[in-house]
Amino acid sequence: MIRHLAGRVGQAIVATFGVLTIVFFIMRLSGDPTLLLVPEGATAEQIAELRHELGFDRPLLVQYVAYLSDLAHLDLGESLVQRAGVAGIVAERIPYTVALATGALLVALGIGIPAGVAMAVWRGSVLERALAAFVLTGQSLPTFWSGILLILLFGVALGWLPTSGADSLQSLIMPSIALGALTMSTFARMTRIAVLDELSRAYVTAARARGLSMRAAVLRHVLRNASIPVVTIAALEVGNLLAGAVIVETVFAWPGIGQLAIQSIASRDFLVVQAIVLFVSTVYIGMNLLADIAYAIIDPRIRLKR
Amino acid sequence: MRRLVLAFLVAFAATPALAQPKDTLTVDLPGDVATMDPQLQWDTESYSVYRNIFDNLVTRDVSGKIVPQIATAWHYTDDTTIVFDLRTDIVFHDGSPLTPDDVVFSIRRITNPAFKSPQLSQFDQIASAEVTGPAQVTLHTKSPYPVLMAQLVKLSIVPKVYVEKVGDQKFNQEPMGSGPYRLRTWQRGVQSVLDSVDGYWRGKPPFRTVTFRAVPDGPTRIADLRTGRADITRGLSPDDAESVKSDKSLQLLPVATERVAYLFINTLATPTKDKRVRQAIAMAIDRDTIISALQQGYARPVNIVLTPADFGYVADVPGWPYDPARARALIKEAGANGAVLSFITSPSYDRRLNEAVQQMLGDVGLKVEISVTDQPTFLHRRQGTPEDAGALSQGRWSCACQDADGVIFPLFRSGSIWSKMNNPAFDAEVDAARTILDPARRLEHYRRAFQILREEVPGIGLFQDYAIYLARKELKWTPTANEAFFVMDMKWQP
Repeated sequence: MIRHLAGRVGQAIVATFGVLTIVFFIMRLSGDPTLLLVPEGATAEQIAELRHELGFDRPLLVQYVAYLSDLAHLDLGESLVQRAGVAGIVAERIPYTVALATGALLVALGIGIPAGVAMAVWRGSVLERALAAFVLTGQSLPTFWSGILLILLFGVALGWLPTSGADSLQSLIMPSIALGALTMSTFARMTRIAVLDELSRAYVTAARARGLSMRAAVLRHVLRNASIPVVTIAALEVGNLLAGAVIVETVFAWPGIGQLAIQSIASRDFLVVQAIVLFVSTVYIGMNLLADIAYAIIDPRIRLKR
Repeated sequence: MRRLVLAFLVAFAATPALAQPKDTLTVDLPGDVATMDPQLQWDTESYSVYRNIFDNLVTRDVSGKIVPQIATAWHYTDDTTIVFDLRTDIVFHDGSPLTPDDVVFSIRRITNPAFKSPQLSQFDQIASAEVTGPAQVTLHTKSPYPVLMAQLVKLSIVPKVYVEKVGDQKFNQEPMGSGPYRLRTWQRGVQSVLDSVDGYWRGKPPFRTVTFRAVPDGPTRIADLRTGRADITRGLSPDDAESVKSDKSLQLLPVATERVAYLFINTLATPTKDKRVRQAIAMAIDRDTIISALQQGYARPVNIVLTPADFGYVADVPGWPYDPARARALIKEAGANGAVLSFITSPSYDRRLNEAVQQMLGDVGLKVEISVTDQPTFLHRRQGTPEDAGALSQGRWSCACQDADGVIFPLFRSGSIWSKMNNPAFDAEVDAARTILDPARRLEHYRRAFQILREEVPGIGLFQDYAIYLARKELKWTPTANEAFFVMDMKWQP
């Protein structure tokens, strides 16, 4: 088990390194941020001078080696736009992203899984059709639209919730709903399929024949077995959520990683983008490893095989 | 279950009160401050905040005239030497007095290439600065530089002793100035909170606390205004403005700015090399329709590539009339019917304007192909060789100096990265205008320069752009053409 995990971590490090390298070169090959930093009237000489001061006139390989060497010293560099340490800038945003991801996950799990189970258990009924429509809506509404709709309804018209910002628990509600809606749909459908699959198995028929109620059968046996594919999806979705919900963060003025990423890419603040890529890769890999461990706990067959 | 509902209701009830007390101001900005150090960036959001923390050597009044601030008076002793008399009653927020040493330090700091200030280009005509009296500073420029005062409007004075003590990094996080407000907290990416300074030399600041929030999405900023979560915001588009007109609790504050929207036309490459094609383009663009339909009236027509808010503006050089018939004739004469013109642009520019131009030029026989790239790539092409720069592109130019030297010199003088024109007569006029101090003589050079531009058409002025602010009805403020955001000039109506 440990050897397996160590192998996975090794693969992960190689993958992260590869991604960082690709991002490094792609960003720099399409131009440097000097043109974006200076006022409109700056002359060619002034731009060249600033470019030289910032080190962007060095050959790409030289810049790459310098970056790797800094990384080896755990130095993530300085943001060009904010002239402050990248590590601090990114770290400040992480709690907001985690809060939003948690909120969205609660919405997604809290609504998605029960909906999926209900759709499977009461298959063919009016309830299932209503839930299916609800799930489809969650999947189809683009967040830049659902976001502003939520703000206009609950913020402006009803005045129940704050229209923007991240300063209270109330301000987490609408962004979580907007962000969680799509994930909720995914969970609902995965859960429905997994539960339907389990319900058709022999052990369920046997249990029911012995007198077990449907409710007990589902809660005690089916859910546990159905959770394996759901756990896979959950791991990937958490990775997605933590990677930054750019649109939701922009619409709700939620200061997370997503907003920072899009602003840094637009202003070509290279080192911030790279630090975010590093963070996101680590999160994805971590989530997948956690999923692996979770399997081993849920499914004894995996544990015993190793 | 009941407890859950109760908890929910309590959470809703605990929403903070929405009515703002009358001694605070909350501002929604489209982004957060990049740096609090006034010399480390060139970014609207940043100076909207830090110009309230620092004072400048000189400033502009509501009419746009340059008036004293830290400097009480100034005079030229020769064409390249200016002496400034300074106030002696200004103190920084820690109580230390603002002295000529601080002024000289600020100038040297921003003109030092090793400091890597993106604003260097605006101040690099300053050759040196020295203290020449207990309340006096003398500046030398490299050559006679008539735009110096306009540039000094943008120079914030920083405290030498404090900056040297804490270092640049810390000064950026914990700035200290002499302005009406001091920084209380700065949550990066979220908001900055400023407190008023007692005993500020210009008078009592109008609000006890000012909060600047970063809210990137336009409709969200409007929602904040409508619910009272914010009191004022900037950066509304004309469409946004129309959508809030009916809200009785809010007021729109549009102002004509020094920003000119223009169409660039390549004179050195592509089918627009032919002057007749360029003149035809000038006559094919229906500027009135662009102003009424695209800008919803939030724009003013201009006859040249400059706005009346800039020095050097001349009203008597006529623009090209809208005459599509004449345009078609000229294009046929030039043999350019059906010519393909590449229009390079990026998402930073209004897509509808690109398409309007494409349609209007299509009507007169020119086929426009729009090519969209990201902003850095667009700038790279636009500032590159004439062959790379495409035939057309649009821009919204402001030098933040309200002077023609900051507009038509970089845009059209040969040798500038933006210019795709090679006209020695034009070069001579703008070169002369930037080294003469006498405004009347400068104006004559600019008049001749604009006449050349009219004939050669390396670009067309489309309109004078507006900045649109939205505020609660009770807030009293007159925005200015240079888009300054001085909270000192605002107040709640009694």
